[in-house]
Amino acid sequence: MKQSVTLRRLTQFATVTAIALALVAVLAPVQAQDEISGEVNVMGFGTGDEIATERVDLFRETYPNVEVSFTEGALDEQQFLTAVASGTPPDAVYIDRALLSTYAVRGALQPLTQCIEDMGIDMSIFRQAAVEQVTINGEIYGIPDFWNNIYLMINTAAVEEAGLTLDDISTTDWDRLTELNEALTRIENGRVTRIGFDPKLPEFFPLWVRANGGQLLSDDGRTAMLNSPEAVEALEYAFSQHEPSGGRAEFMAFRDTWDFFGSNNQIVADQVGFWPMEQWYMNVLADVSPDAPIAFKAFTDREGNPISMATGSAWAIPTNSANYEGACALAATMTSTEAWIRAAQKRAELRAESGTINTGVSPANAEAEEIIFTEIVGPTGNEVFDQGIAVLREVQEAGFAIPANPAGNEFRQAWMDAVNRVLNGEQTAQEALDQAQAEAQAALDSAWSRQ
Amino acid sequence: MSTQSVLARLPFGRRATLQQREALAGIAFISPWIIGFFIFTAGPMVISLGLSLTEYDVLRPPTFIGLENYQRMLGDPRLMTSLYNSIYYALLHVPLSIIFALSLALILNNVGKAAGFFRTAFYLPSVTPAVAIGTLWLWLLNPRVGLINRGLEVFGIQGPGWTTDPNWIKPGIVLMSLWSVGSTVIIYLAALRNVPNDLYEAANIDGANGWQQFRHVTIPMISGAIFFTLIVNIISSLQIFTEVYTMYFGNQTNNAAASAGLFYNIYLFRQAFEFLNFGYASAMAWLLFVIIMILTFIQLRLSKRWVYYEGG
Amino acid sequence: MSAITQTRTTYAPSARERARNRRRLFFRIIYIILLLGFTVIFIAPFVWLVSASLKSRAEVFSPDLIPDPIMWQNYIRVWEAAPLLRWLGNSLWVGLLAATTVTLSCSLIAFGFSYFRFKGRDTLFNLVLATMMLPGVVTMIPVFMIWQSLGLVNTHAPLWAMNLFGSAFYIFMIRQFYLTLPRELFEAARVDGAGYFHMWRHIALPLTRTALIVVFVFEFKASWTDLLKPLIYLRSPQLYTLPLGLKTILDRFGQGGEMEWEVVMAASVIVTLPMIIIFFLGQRYFLEGIATTGLKG
Repeated sequence: MKQSVTLRRLTQFATVTAIALALVAVLAPVQAQDEISGEVNVMGFGTGDEIATERVDLFRETYPNVEVSFTEGALDEQQFLTAVASGTPPDAVYIDRALLSTYAVRGALQPLTQCIEDMGIDMSIFRQAAVEQVTINGEIYGIPDFWNNIYLMINTAAVEEAGLTLDDISTTDWDRLTELNEALTRIENGRVTRIGFDPKLPEFFPLWVRANGGQLLSDDGRTAMLNSPEAVEALEYAFSQHEPSGGRAEFMAFRDTWDFFGSNNQIVADQVGFWPMEQWYMNVLADVSPDAPIAFKAFTDREGNPISMATGSAWAIPTNSANYEGACALAATMTSTEAWIRAAQKRAELRAESGTINTGVSPANAEAEEIIFTEIVGPTGNEVFDQGIAVLREVQEAGFAIPANPAGNEFRQAWMDAVNRVLNGEQTAQEALDQAQAEAQAALDSAWSRQ
Repeated sequence: MSTQSVLARLPFGRRATLQQREALAGIAFISPWIIGFFIFTAGPMVISLGLSLTEYDVLRPPTFIGLENYQRMLGDPRLMTSLYNSIYYALLHVPLSIIFALSLALILNNVGKAAGFFRTAFYLPSVTPAVAIGTLWLWLLNPRVGLINRGLEVFGIQGPGWTTDPNWIKPGIVLMSLWSVGSTVIIYLAALRNVPNDLYEAANIDGANGWQQFRHVTIPMISGAIFFTLIVNIISSLQIFTEVYTMYFGNQTNNAAASAGLFYNIYLFRQAFEFLNFGYASAMAWLLFVIIMILTFIQLRLSKRWVYYEGG
Repeated sequence: MSAITQTRTTYAPSARERARNRRRLFFRIIYIILLLGFTVIFIAPFVWLVSASLKSRAEVFSPDLIPDPIMWQNYIRVWEAAPLLRWLGNSLWVGLLAATTVTLSCSLIAFGFSYFRFKGRDTLFNLVLATMMLPGVVTMIPVFMIWQSLGLVNTHAPLWAMNLFGSAFYIFMIRQFYLTLPRELFEAARVDGAGYFHMWRHIALPLTRTALIVVFVFEFKASWTDLLKPLIYLRSPQLYTLPLGLKTILDRFGQGGEMEWEVVMAASVIVTLPMIIIFFLGQRYFLEGIATTGLKG
């Protein structure tokens, strides 16, 4: 008798509690900022500059009960892997978008659907190519952070010397490009002393393929297209751009001597004509040689449209993360328009103080980017870099990325190695890419099949 | 090994007791290693052998695929390249480093107290972090402005493209490794100092000259140390990794080394940690293991001919 | 090439001996010149490293020996950027533990493999050798799991505790030295009633002091420069050892691809310097060890 009464009481108690909890859950869908607490340990993010620290500060102010800590430095895959494998992953991870799907497909990262809903993140304000890179089977696994692009950097002194103008410089017409390269290359005593045009192989191989109207991977990320006619042609062409300098070995030996980050860099020292480069280098130039004879232009495909290979990282949450809400709040805050604006403002302040040029910052958050470049980053007082900023903004729209695929590294290595084999004269472009195609497709099939 | 079985095997009762005590004591001394072996070596080795029969990316449970990894290895051109590279490097590096280290040690042995300063100088590179070594040598080997080629220019030789010509990548790495012979020099020096002086005096009295003393006293007496460094150097040469990875495979986009500098362990690391093919990497590791074992046993067999032990 | 290190003369040297002494002196001078030459070659890269660490960003790869201006700030930046003293302490502590445990354990184990004769000894030793050949990368994950289950990840234990069980490399090396000791020494002790432990402690150990010191120094250095184990096992920055710290500095100053090489060089020098000092101090002791053990008749 007594037992059943106790039992009934218990059941009643349980039911009431359950209903109460359900009510709370339903009535408070957006968590109050004070409720998110605990620790959030992040792997892969470095707090080395004001763009990082300002955003982190914003997070700390918004969520005072969360203790966020960083395992400083770029993501070490080995460290991350062992952490995940042992069941003690970091609470949040900052990971290259090209790598993200490798881990997502294997179940190491969790979908952020709930997070996006809870935080009210509007994914449409992000560059769609970036979002696609982190979307697997319709679910989003990362919030994109940076959107870094590529454009041409030009040594105007060399251009002038060759009797050309800035308008002549273009990558649209490949025959013309070869002529430009030859015109700008300088050989003294049989050794190259100025490279006309650096095709940036192997890293920019995807750019060349895109320029030629092809792509390396199908949009669904399942079919490799490494040995398509467009790809082979692109490789052959880009490879041929080493000829004026005397071949790849000569080219590389010379290029290795450039004082890349210093004030006597290759533009100042008149060691290069023009070449496609990642946008961060514009910052370097602004810092170390703001008065050098530089100009910027978009890299164009064979149809004349500007194109650029866009890279960057994303905030993701590992499966078994100890603090999903905290990590989610972090991801949302770091990528929010508010955070980016604050960071950009700080950068503008610091640069104004030190008298250096402010070239802004490029988030994948397009809304933030718009505000940053229309309201915060103004004319720098240096025509060259004003023009550079204009080009930077132009190519933001033209960025493409290799689609999400779970064989990230293996795929990339396949084409990298193929390009290298061609560069070293071991194989022809067709042979190398055929081999790469087989390797890449095998890797893709294997990775997708075990999903 | 039970007391009974030991006793049963030996013909003399009294010696049996002594032998048995000796055996047990010996094993007692060795016991720490035995325990460690089971926990940290045997267990993991069995696991890794098992893994080599699977497809495993660490993040999801392994899938059994039998000998497929090994079959793949046979048809993998990159595997063959990496094996070739490692063997080539070992063949070049080991003899050179032993001869070089021995020469240095002999010279050091003959200068008495001054050796201390020099010893530190030679050992210094071994103490430098591998990352720093790799970075340093990438610059030293630069064909146009690196110290090596600039030094050669002084003698009128035009240095090759150590970092840009695939044919010179491995020799360049050998050069870098020779810089780190300090440890081997120290081992030889310790061995040389251990050679009893009276042997030399006796040889002197017998009228042996310097070279003969070297051949018939020094070499045999330090043959143990030479043997040791020979084995260890071969094993470690076949497993070279950090410096080369820093130089050519970390963030660099140097391509001359993409094939020429792809050493076995680098390819293994890549398969494991970049491609997440732990099963395949385990199979690769076991192949290397077998190769090393075979090489070592051959050397052990041969060693009976030329290595001299006094108290074994 | 003469291999004699000391000559005792208790009588007036003859003409022939005087000539020989002159020749020996001549060779000695040649040796010192050779050594100096090699030393320059060996030290040059390191000198260049120090010189580069004191240069400004623009100058880092320039061939000048003396930087102009001398950027002491690089070192200050490194010092401020990271808890170097803490990391130094960690490296020291772990290094000492690792070196001490391995020297003790390996000398014990090697003794077991050299003096004692029993069936299966050589087979077991071949097994020890075999373990040297297994590439570490493969057992890495299973070993990590073991430490994980012991709850010792993110402590210093995994960095040195395995040395309690010996290490094939040093067992091999010490055994080689033990094998050069005449068996009669031990037999004599045994006849006097000494136990096995006594033989190890009072005969084998002192006579192979050179080798033991070498093992200690080697393991200390190996532990000091190891990056892999700290990378996997340590997550809290205050536990980091110097190489791992160096790596974080490298990553931090390489953000966005901007390699501030001069800072990296400075950090490298800081990381390497203590080891050099320790070695230099230690190897004087080393020298004494060699002097006392090497010349017994």
